[in-house]
Amino acid sequence: MRHTLRFTGVGGQGVLLAGEIMAACKIKNGGYGLKTATYTSQVRGGATVVDITLDDDEIRYPYANEGEIDFMLSVADVSYQQFKNGVKPGGIIVVDPNLVTPTDEDRKKWTIYEIPIITIAKEEVGNVITQSVVALAITNTMTNVLPEESLIETMLSKVPPKVHAANRKAYELGKKYALEAMGK
Amino acid sequence: MAREVISTGNELSSMAAIDAGARFFSGYPITPSSEVMHVASDLMPKVGGKFIQMEDEIAGICAAIGASASGVKSYTATSGPGISLKAEQIGLAFIAEIPLVIVNVMRGGPSTGLPTRVSQADIGQAQYPTHGDYASITLCAGSLSECYTETVRGFNLAEKYMTPVFVLLDETIGHMHGKAILPDLEEIEASIVNREVFEGDPADYKPYDVPMNKPAVLNPMFQGYKYHVTGLHHGAEGFPTEDAEQCEFNIERLVGKINTIHLENGGLDDLPDYEEVDLDDAEVCIIAYGSIALGAYEAVKKLRSEGIKAGLLRPIMLWPSPVKKLEEIGERFKDKILVTELNMGQYSKEVERVIKRNDFTTLLKANGRPIAPAEMVAKVKEMM
Repeated sequence: MRHTLRFTGVGGQGVLLAGEIMAACKIKNGGYGLKTATYTSQVRGGATVVDITLDDDEIRYPYANEGEIDFMLSVADVSYQQFKNGVKPGGIIVVDPNLVTPTDEDRKKWTIYEIPIITIAKEEVGNVITQSVVALAITNTMTNVLPEESLIETMLSKVPPKVHAANRKAYELGKKYALEAMGK
Repeated sequence: MAREVISTGNELSSMAAIDAGARFFSGYPITPSSEVMHVASDLMPKVGGKFIQMEDEIAGICAAIGASASGVKSYTATSGPGISLKAEQIGLAFIAEIPLVIVNVMRGGPSTGLPTRVSQADIGQAQYPTHGDYASITLCAGSLSECYTETVRGFNLAEKYMTPVFVLLDETIGHMHGKAILPDLEEIEASIVNREVFEGDPADYKPYDVPMNKPAVLNPMFQGYKYHVTGLHHGAEGFPTEDAEQCEFNIERLVGKINTIHLENGGLDDLPDYEEVDLDDAEVCIIAYGSIALGAYEAVKKLRSEGIKAGLLRPIMLWPSPVKKLEEIGERFKDKILVTELNMGQYSKEVERVIKRNDFTTLLKANGRPIAPAEMVAKVKEMM
């Protein structure tokens, strides 16, 4: 079964790393995972999109097929507007409501959840850099595509030991907000 | 046992260089190739090699050529704009017959173009990167694993034929992050080719005194053998000459040591110059290389699931091109051929040259975006 996920933001927000962690986790569990990023030549502030494809069988084409994406998470309006149409009708979209404004039509087309990802990272975890881990937790909690323990382990292997505690906390908070949003 | 790694194409290319025996890297960072350089800076000191970031692209290749002339396997990495700047020195490496691997991670051009976006528009540049007559060896990686294996192959071909070799990646394949299966290190080590060395009396050493279609024998510098390296036409000992017969021989040999040998031997080594996918019973053939072939595999699968027997020819060695195979494809599939590439038809022109027809279909794109499998499927359906 193929899962296609998309993270969008602006350059410098760390969406690339979250994608890498998901692909690596899938591979460690015996499957195939590919991450590709498309970004602009602006160092910061340009629209960035990361496509993550996870499958038990080999994946060749690394980009998401437009209109077939199961799940998208967005933390910047410029990239949300540009890339939302890749999500299949009825698919899940998570946005940071302080940064992204979905239209009423969007809400009819997709299941949209609003979670203040940046604020959670900044104020509750205490480090804005952990937003990619908050995003990671939300994504996996909502899609259930990867075994949670393995995902956390992969994530921790990619960050320095001194920030392990903060990132664990970020994961827990992301999960909590995701469950609340889904009404679970 | 094969090795499984999680990495990007750029990183794998640099790891391969080290495993192939490269001990010198010099270059200048440029998107989307910089990670080739990052990994070189990390790994070179660990294996006793040298890494140097030079002041610009030109110096980047000059140092690599110098290191190679001194006997050390060397490489540099860049993107199209960097190749443009390096063009003059690439010519020196061609005529002086100095082996070198040049990794080009292609982005949109011309000029500064589209720095962060994918393209395959440098394949023509790889064939003729500089003025004058010569023949280029150009390999094009079509998977993460091939970013590794084709780089190793690049070094072996450079040493065997005493010439610069291009290893082409592109932004997609260079930056995509996933699983790659690599051959065993022992297998790689067993495959390594080292340049020929003259071991006779230094008084008898004539590096360019070789027969037609054979590469020069350049002994490493500083070992008692005299050397004279020049971009001017040169005679047997490397000193400049304008002798008409010698100059003609030089050019025929430079071109022939690659193109003639490729034709006569059916390749430049024992490795595949192309991959065939589902061609046996196919009624339509897609020709695609590099990252565009990744979408083509999926297009073939999709078309077959809908009852259209599609197949794929994926050239790996772009230059010299797999002439016999292309002729066979042209003969067999007639106008049921789709050439798809991320430029305005640079390889399509080669297909046309080889099959001597232009009745095939093309799907071309040059806006920095990949070609989706769905676009290929739609194009093939139009053809049927």
